[in-house]
Amino acid sequence: MENKNRDKVLEVKNLKTYFFTEDGIVKAVDGVDFEVYQGETLGLVGESGCGKSVTAFSILKLLDYPGKTVEGQILFKEDDLLKKSEEQMRKIRGKEIAMIFQEPMTSLNPVFTIGFQIAESLKVHYKMSNLEARKKVIELLEKVGIPIPEQRVDEYPHQLSGGMRQRAMIAMALACDPVLLIADEPTTSLDVTIQAQILELMKTLLKQFNSSLIMITHDLGVIAEIADRIAVMYAGKIVEYTDTRSIFFSPLHPYTFGLLTSIPRLDMEMEKLESIPGVVPDPLHFPEGCKFHPRCGFATERCRKEEPSLLEIENGHIVRCWQVDRVREEAKKIAFTRRLAVVE
Amino acid sequence: MNRIIRKLLNNTASLIGLLLLLVFILIAVFAPYLAPPLFPDPYQIPRMSWDVEPQPPGFPMSDDMRFVYESLGKPITRDKAIFGTAQGGYDIFYGLIWGTRTAFRIGIITVTLSMLIGVILGSLSAYFGGWLDELLMRITDIFLSIPFLVAAMVLTTILGRGLDKVMIALVAFGWMGYARVIRGSILSTKEEVYVMAAKALGVKDFRIIAFHLLPNTIFPVLVQASMNIGSMVVTAAALSFLGVGAPLGYADWGQMVSFARNWIIGSPGKAGEYWYAVFFPGIFIVLFVLSWNLVGDTLRDILDPRLRGEL
Amino acid sequence: MLSYIIRRLLILPLILLGVTFLIFCLFSLLSPMERLATYVNNPSVLKNPQAAQRLIDKYHLDDPFPAGYIHWLKSLLKLDLGWSATANQPVWEAIMQRLPATMELVLYSIIPVILVGIWLGVISAVHHNDLLDQTIRVTAIIGWSLPTFIFGLLILFIFYGILGWLPPGRLSTWAQYIVYTSESFKHFTHFITIDALLNGRLDIFWDALKHLIAPIITLSYISWAYLLRITRSSMLETLRKDYIRTARAKGVDEKTVIYQHARKNALIPVVTVAGMMIIGMLGGVVITETVFTYPGLGFWAASSAQQLDYGSVIGFALLFAFIMVIGNLIVDISYALIDPRVRLE
Repeated sequence: MENKNRDKVLEVKNLKTYFFTEDGIVKAVDGVDFEVYQGETLGLVGESGCGKSVTAFSILKLLDYPGKTVEGQILFKEDDLLKKSEEQMRKIRGKEIAMIFQEPMTSLNPVFTIGFQIAESLKVHYKMSNLEARKKVIELLEKVGIPIPEQRVDEYPHQLSGGMRQRAMIAMALACDPVLLIADEPTTSLDVTIQAQILELMKTLLKQFNSSLIMITHDLGVIAEIADRIAVMYAGKIVEYTDTRSIFFSPLHPYTFGLLTSIPRLDMEMEKLESIPGVVPDPLHFPEGCKFHPRCGFATERCRKEEPSLLEIENGHIVRCWQVDRVREEAKKIAFTRRLAVVE
Repeated sequence: MNRIIRKLLNNTASLIGLLLLLVFILIAVFAPYLAPPLFPDPYQIPRMSWDVEPQPPGFPMSDDMRFVYESLGKPITRDKAIFGTAQGGYDIFYGLIWGTRTAFRIGIITVTLSMLIGVILGSLSAYFGGWLDELLMRITDIFLSIPFLVAAMVLTTILGRGLDKVMIALVAFGWMGYARVIRGSILSTKEEVYVMAAKALGVKDFRIIAFHLLPNTIFPVLVQASMNIGSMVVTAAALSFLGVGAPLGYADWGQMVSFARNWIIGSPGKAGEYWYAVFFPGIFIVLFVLSWNLVGDTLRDILDPRLRGEL
Repeated sequence: MLSYIIRRLLILPLILLGVTFLIFCLFSLLSPMERLATYVNNPSVLKNPQAAQRLIDKYHLDDPFPAGYIHWLKSLLKLDLGWSATANQPVWEAIMQRLPATMELVLYSIIPVILVGIWLGVISAVHHNDLLDQTIRVTAIIGWSLPTFIFGLLILFIFYGILGWLPPGRLSTWAQYIVYTSESFKHFTHFITIDALLNGRLDIFWDALKHLIAPIITLSYISWAYLLRITRSSMLETLRKDYIRTARAKGVDEKTVIYQHARKNALIPVVTVAGMMIIGMLGGVVITETVFTYPGLGFWAASSAQQLDYGSVIGFALLFAFIMVIGNLIVDISYALIDPRVRLE
């Protein structure tokens, strides 16, 4: 793959993050591996509760009690973040790795102006004076497409619309030119038209800043727009990991397959819209064998007993499933070329 | 409901509260056996002597007092003040036992009446809205503008001494909290589908309030009421302590404490010699309030976990 | 912001009018004769029916409702609140004379509660600790269940009766002699502690302080438990908010996260509670001053109530209601000041 000769920005190896609750240990992230290259966008896809957000918080070491990363390595520019002290992490957060959150209303502090909140990382990391920071903030607000930035800079989050808030959030993340951005469902809470605008903006800015991005979402439509490669997560583990084209062209995991057939499409004649039956399993009582088997149409006796491991099936296409061949056949039958329109 | 009872029993704090409450109920019920009255009015505390200063626990009834009671034709079954006597020879034990009945009476009557007024005004206000809501809520604000104890003290002073006057004053300035709470919950419930449906079917307003809205909104009010019983009793006691509450010699805990006020320091060289005059009444009041608060606090935790920690 | 304050200030007279109306209703429960008694300083006048009737007409005590209220309101505006038999001076003078003592007590009670109570609440939230949590919870419930008059008597019993440290009253006799009769002692603020310092009399300052400590503790112990618990739970809730994580993700250090990002938000509900608490203290003043025979407004009001001196009691209620209304206004405005969502609608 073309990525091989680019620099690795982030490499996550065998990451395990558990929550030690009163009712038992919740293995939210249970052995996840992936890497992010310079300038590329990695999509982390899955239903809510699959561990994708916890993965993101583990990278920044911002886990809430009782969460704890118990094993693994997070190599950022070849340095293990898990070995860094809180003080060293603080210097990385916001400066090297920045984060965009899901809900811009609750993620922005209601009692400070957005100008103050954006300027804060500049002041923390570059020791900028108030005046310098203000100038830079106005510049940033202009870049993220907020009109009349000189006025907006002094406004409070509740005075902005949802889309504007998310733009401010993006400006905040980009303030210090981070090497890596992590966006946790940045468009989920927005209207569809605004979603498209924000995605467009993120794409432009990524090119401009030459940053890498980890895009966390449950929405394959969003991921198709922006990601170069995709990791699909289910129940704390990666189940399929390859480039975006392959995911949409030839999914090899029944879960990915299910996700794809459940995307509603406007340009398609109304055929049956399938959704994956069943619910995400209770993290305290995962099923034996493959964790997806109770919801899987391809499941056999083997799936119920033995958990499959991640295997590289084709060049750069990694899947965790015993039934790869049957899924491939099934996927071919359905015209996935239609979905390609989304990718291109 | 079963879940609530089970949780109440599981929680140590509320269990203590319930047990204490049970003890107080038993004391109130068996008051005539624990402390047989010597006057026709059982709430009149008998005096053990004519002494001005308090007398220690175990103090025997003086002979001239015995003579007075015998001439009234009552058999004297208890001739020792086991908790001592208060200022003026009043039997502390008797006052506390019968004071328990007074406390329950004050607490339950005032809380029930003020809850009733609050619920009626609050639900009218929320249900009809508009100018009625505006008017009733401004009236509520104005009633809330005088500190509760001060308002109760003024009204009792104007109405004159006596337990009934105290209760009127407590009700007159005690309903506003309920009105606000019920108004808030009805406002959020009245847009629910089942209420709309009842309206569309032409059910009368009164029926909608009484049978559809109140059963779904009354719980927070009941919790508040259970917590208020303690504070109503304390306020009544405080009024008696200030000298505007129960009439002299009436079996009332606040009055017992007020009797002790002048003696708390003790006489020169004998600091704290009259400790019993304040200790026993104090313990009764504190435990009574504590039991209601423990039960109420747990009830609120169970019914509304969001309020946890707000006291 | 300004329009908000102006709007609140415009409603203020309406609320005050409502309060005076309510108190007038209470006052009207008395017979004209009893009401007349609040205006005369010589009770023998009341024994003469003709003279009494003349005075009733003069004060419009027999007038039908709206006229009577308006006349009463007019006399209020002239600060004519009647005669206090208890204080043996006009009610207004009696109030003004006793106000500094009560203010001194209330201010000294509020300030430490707010500063230290909030500080302790924040600290205990940051060092999340089950033992501390339980201690606070239990203390709060016990404090809540311990009526002021019993707690006050307990303090008096221990610290004066047994230990002899904290005497009741406002000053010892020798200090009273200096403060009230000596020419050289100047009254600047009528707060004895401050005046004593300004006069360079450390001995009087110390004496006044000794008399203040017990009433301060009695007046504020409930508020301590209460404010501490509210601050703590509000702080714990705020620390779980998304924007706290955002601040951390920016690389802001933990101190700034807690003391700037979290505390400013956590204090918003605390302001309301602190306001309610101060209002609760107003009621407590009557009991506390009575327990410690502290010569302020509350002690005077309680003695007036016992002696059925209606004029003084009504005057006292009016004053406290006004203080409360204005206190509420201040709370609302400070609420708006710290919460931009209220300020800017």
